[in-house]
Amino acid sequence: MAIKITTIMIVLLLAGLPMMIPLLLGSFYGFYELFGGISKMDFMVQQMLAGIRPASLIAVPMFILAAEIMTRGQSATRLIDLVMQFIGHVRGGLAVSTAVACTLFGAVSGSTQATVVAVGSPLRPRMLQAGYKDSFVLALIINASDIAFLIPPSIGMIIYGVISSTSISELFIAGVGPGLLLMVLFSAYSMIYATINKVPTEPKASWSERLVATRKAIWPLGFPVIIVGGIYGGIFSPTEAAAACVLYALILEIGIFRSLKLRDIYQIAKSTGLITAVVFILVGAGAAFSWVISFAQIPQEILGAIGITDMGPKGVLAVISISFFIGCMFVDPIVVILVLVPIFAPVVQSVGLDPVLVGTIITLQVAIGSATPPFGCDIFTAIAVFKRPYADVVRGIFPFTIILAAVSVALIFFPQIALFARDLAFR
Amino acid sequence: MTETDQKSMLPGFLGWIDTQIGRVEAVILAVGVLLMAVNTVGNVIGRFIFQYSFFFTEEVNSIIIILITFAGIGYAARHGRHIRMSAIYDALPTRTRKIMMILITIITALTMFALCYFSIGYIMKVAASGRVLPALQIPVYMTFLWVPVGFAITGIQYALTTVKNILEKDVYLSTYMLEGYDDSEIEI
Repeated sequence: MAIKITTIMIVLLLAGLPMMIPLLLGSFYGFYELFGGISKMDFMVQQMLAGIRPASLIAVPMFILAAEIMTRGQSATRLIDLVMQFIGHVRGGLAVSTAVACTLFGAVSGSTQATVVAVGSPLRPRMLQAGYKDSFVLALIINASDIAFLIPPSIGMIIYGVISSTSISELFIAGVGPGLLLMVLFSAYSMIYATINKVPTEPKASWSERLVATRKAIWPLGFPVIIVGGIYGGIFSPTEAAAACVLYALILEIGIFRSLKLRDIYQIAKSTGLITAVVFILVGAGAAFSWVISFAQIPQEILGAIGITDMGPKGVLAVISISFFIGCMFVDPIVVILVLVPIFAPVVQSVGLDPVLVGTIITLQVAIGSATPPFGCDIFTAIAVFKRPYADVVRGIFPFTIILAAVSVALIFFPQIALFARDLAFR
Repeated sequence: MTETDQKSMLPGFLGWIDTQIGRVEAVILAVGVLLMAVNTVGNVIGRFIFQYSFFFTEEVNSIIIILITFAGIGYAARHGRHIRMSAIYDALPTRTRKIMMILITIITALTMFALCYFSIGYIMKVAASGRVLPALQIPVYMTFLWVPVGFAITGIQYALTTVKNILEKDVYLSTYMLEGYDDSEIEI
């Protein structure tokens, strides 16, 4: 049964059907085989509805709403300006600013696509003008945007947390360390690149310019304070932090910056609803799928076949890393999380791995896979946003993949990179 | 590109109904998200300022999220916005793509109609059980009523796309969205 379901799903997926269909037909087939016919299909609907109902999932539309409000308003631009004024003048300054701005924007938005648009669109022309090669610029934008996966809020982490019953607050805090490490390494690579390619440095901003930029960005800097500070300090649950962000974004963009009107909010809400629905139908279909494969003990079958139980905790983490990385090279991260997390759940439990560490490693792999050819989904976002051919977009990615792979290995051997802040806050 | 009020491909009265359904879906999405925001934000304010949590917040949100999801899948089908892995598909010649798109829309439509049927079965079972939401005291089955409707609308949209692809020369992603990246808007 495991082989048949896998084949059905891979064929349907690669054929280009909407991603909910492979999940739904995979579950259909499972229910059909398990219960000998269609008599229990209403139970599949029940599993789907149960999958989208958990209260903690409400954080997803709320974070999307907050991010949409601030991207269409002025918060995003003001944050980018702030970074530019302070570090734009160092060697490779524009590239370093891009990495830092992506991280900062990741701290207000849970989506990489939003980060590609919000940070990449204004900074790419400036980098090209300064003399960076487009292949480097595109690769930097794609990979730095993926830091947004790890920096809270993170939609992938919320979904992982819900389906694996792991604390989303702890996941959020654990993502900060690896996210910052990636930012530092990407910045270092940018500086080396700029030195080798002799990219001229930008003029240094005066302190009065910096003061102006700081004053303009002081309000948007409240977002990371609300999210990281609120959760770290145990004041907010992730859903409450998301709600607080929505309120804060509305106050900023409508009340203080006056960049949006109430009419805009209706449009933003509609587009938030659409994005939410497209994700949640996958979450529902994933819940039905997860139930049926767990009931049929398919995870044990697959894991037994690859002999994972003899590998020890580090071996298990390595297998998980590689599986998620490969999965995300082909398919949307949310689908990969929905399908693979339940498959690995039994072994994570039996070797006694920390589910927060597993979640952080998975999120990192999701970030890498999404930026890796052939089909990483952020490559296609970049193609669509910047209107560049596929070959141009993927050409400069390899050095970043090396950095990301190094961080993955580091995270397996030094889990404290992720767990340090979590232990400090919650243990 | 605006997403409002594209003309339905259906003739006359049926077309009018189709357009109205599209409008209703858009309103459910927007108002649903706004209500959810008010409800969740209100609860946070209530808890921090008045030390009082709304007893109904979670139940209201769970009703709204089901409405948004199932109104949204129809709306996404209408606008060709469901996530798919189209990299291989995009590389194929037009004729093959057209045949594949016809197959894709048929399979998707059939899956949606099947789920519509199964979800009606599920709702009848829940209705018969007489369960009510603990805080709001609303019968649980009522909160699921848009589920089969959403599946049916989505199925119809895909079925219409099948017809459109058979009738017209170009390849259509939804009833009025041509395939391709050029004019599709970029949102998260």
